[in-house]
Amino acid sequence: MRITLLLLLVTLVACGRARPAGDGAGGETFRVGLITPGSVADAAWNEGAYRGLMAIRDSLGVEVSHVEARTPGEQEEALRAYAAQRYQLVFGHGFEFQQPAERISAEWPNTVFIVTSGERVQGNVAPLVFRIEEGTYLAGLVAGGLSKTGKIGFVGGIELPPIRRGYEGWVNGARRMNPGIETRLTYLNTFDDAAAGREAALAMIRVGVDMLHHNADAAGVGLFQAAKEQPGVFVFGANADQSRLAPDRVVGSAIIDLPRAFLTVAREVKDGRFSPKVESFGLAGGVIRYLANPSLDSLLPGTVRTALAAAADSIAAGTLLPVPR
Amino acid sequence: MTAVWRAIGVGLIALGVLAATLAVLGFDPVAGLAALGRNSVGSWYAWSSATLVRAIPLIIIGLGLGLAFRAGAFNIGAEGQFAAGAIAATGTAMVMGSWPGPVSWVATAAVSTVAGALWVLIPVVLKLRLGVLEVISTLLLNFVAEQMVSWMVQGPLQEPQGIYPQSAPIPADVRLPVLAGTRLHLGVVWVILLGTVLWIVIGRTRWGFRLRAVGEAPVAASVAGRIPVGGVQAAALLLSGGLAGLAGGLEVTGVTYSLYQNLSPGYGFTAIAVALIARLHPLGIIVAGVGFGALEAGASGMQREAGIPAVAVNVVQATIIIVALLALRKRRVAAVAEA
Repeated sequence: MRITLLLLLVTLVACGRARPAGDGAGGETFRVGLITPGSVADAAWNEGAYRGLMAIRDSLGVEVSHVEARTPGEQEEALRAYAAQRYQLVFGHGFEFQQPAERISAEWPNTVFIVTSGERVQGNVAPLVFRIEEGTYLAGLVAGGLSKTGKIGFVGGIELPPIRRGYEGWVNGARRMNPGIETRLTYLNTFDDAAAGREAALAMIRVGVDMLHHNADAAGVGLFQAAKEQPGVFVFGANADQSRLAPDRVVGSAIIDLPRAFLTVAREVKDGRFSPKVESFGLAGGVIRYLANPSLDSLLPGTVRTALAAAADSIAAGTLLPVPR
Repeated sequence: MTAVWRAIGVGLIALGVLAATLAVLGFDPVAGLAALGRNSVGSWYAWSSATLVRAIPLIIIGLGLGLAFRAGAFNIGAEGQFAAGAIAATGTAMVMGSWPGPVSWVATAAVSTVAGALWVLIPVVLKLRLGVLEVISTLLLNFVAEQMVSWMVQGPLQEPQGIYPQSAPIPADVRLPVLAGTRLHLGVVWVILLGTVLWIVIGRTRWGFRLRAVGEAPVAASVAGRIPVGGVQAAALLLSGGLAGLAGGLEVTGVTYSLYQNLSPGYGFTAIAVALIARLHPLGIIVAGVGFGALEAGASGMQREAGIPAVAVNVVQATIIIVALLALRKRRVAAVAEA
């Protein structure tokens, strides 16, 4: 019995060794890895990144790979694993990848590490920065124009700089239409718990909030459930077009076109044109957009429509700062 | 040694189940298992940078839980004790700054062990004084610990910018040495040390005998052996909390270098399975811990190289636990039949 087990084990190890790890070919094939901090089925932040990876595969014809890594230990393990297999480009999809990427980048000079929502450039580590507030400003503007109760609410996952800036943009946009608007803000301390998102939304609805927005990934899905249960309440999607989550309750979404941003960077790296710098994306390049839900378009009064178009133009032209620095 | 072989046997059954699961889900089982093998045991890199790094906390927590379970005390709160140890190690590291390496390694380990033990002290007191079941109290304290980490990384221990929910990186001198070119840190020495010591203590010492007696027949131990059952169980619980705390401290000083909210991928719970599969035998726990570490490291590799979602491996982990418990049950039935 023991001998048999031992033999099986040895065979298994041999199986593992028999296939080369795929790095024998050297730098021939261009390979791109993506590490997400959560499930790519969140209909927002992580799903957008995954679609970006697929866009890179389809448009550039390169090899791609994805892995989900939730804890700091797993995230560093994944970054190293890709680098060790000579991936030329690795996306760490969130600020939390900044520190581990900086730690290991010196050891792997031939890999470009892109940290989405990262902080700074160091060596071959470069951040992608999204000026999400340019999109949430427009969502807030519409909300401010539509709100009957004069109360709007925002549910955030964890209080991170981009999420806070998105909230500020949302409030400033609403104030443009209704300077006296009342706002509510809740941070859930999680990006996963949809039930918590729903509870937070219901609590806001109880005090009269009729326009909701979020930036809480999978937890934000709870807002759409809450809105569906409560008449007269509308939601604005975040990071991706979320109108399908509640087609008759989502007025529009402040989207980050992650595929477009990812593709831009991947193309630069593949063509050897990339130099590490802060890659900042906003309304002007089309990566940040406010996308209205066509089936609810009739809700918008003419004044809101005009104000929306005017604000979008000024932001893109740089004459309107959604969140003053 | 049977414990070791049993762990291997369970592992092989698990691989069979995994292959079947993959086939059912429509993935190529050969490609999947090959990716799993490559990224867990297929290279020195996989061993030293993934499998063993994940195994260290599983084994250290598992060794502690093995002690507690043997004494018949059910500590389900290792996840919380791990967090308490991680907080304590981070705080200590910040204070120590530039103490010489070896001193700070021992100091952070000691402080995190004490913190883990203190975290389980509350359930111990509740159990001894009020008869509150430790299964409930230790479990509930996990949630308290989780909130405490959240508060720490947004309050007292938050990084100086005050932006991100994490602590500042701990000073370089406090970080545990890492084997060159790998992620394998000094914690592996603790594993070997603790495994050996506990093996001897449980099997060869008077205290180990008392521990086993209390766990297997508390009434007999108390009446015939005059063994203070409560005291032995309390000691075992405190030790198990201490070891979980140590694992948390080692994770911060050896792997992440900062305190984060989501530090543990459920080590405290997986370690329960590790201890049970090994039938609480210290050497078996080392093997089972490496096995689970390999499985999780391999799961990550399967997703990277074969596009198989990590959920498939969760199914397998659950299966392993069931298989192991069934194996355990069969033995019990046989023992009863003999009697």
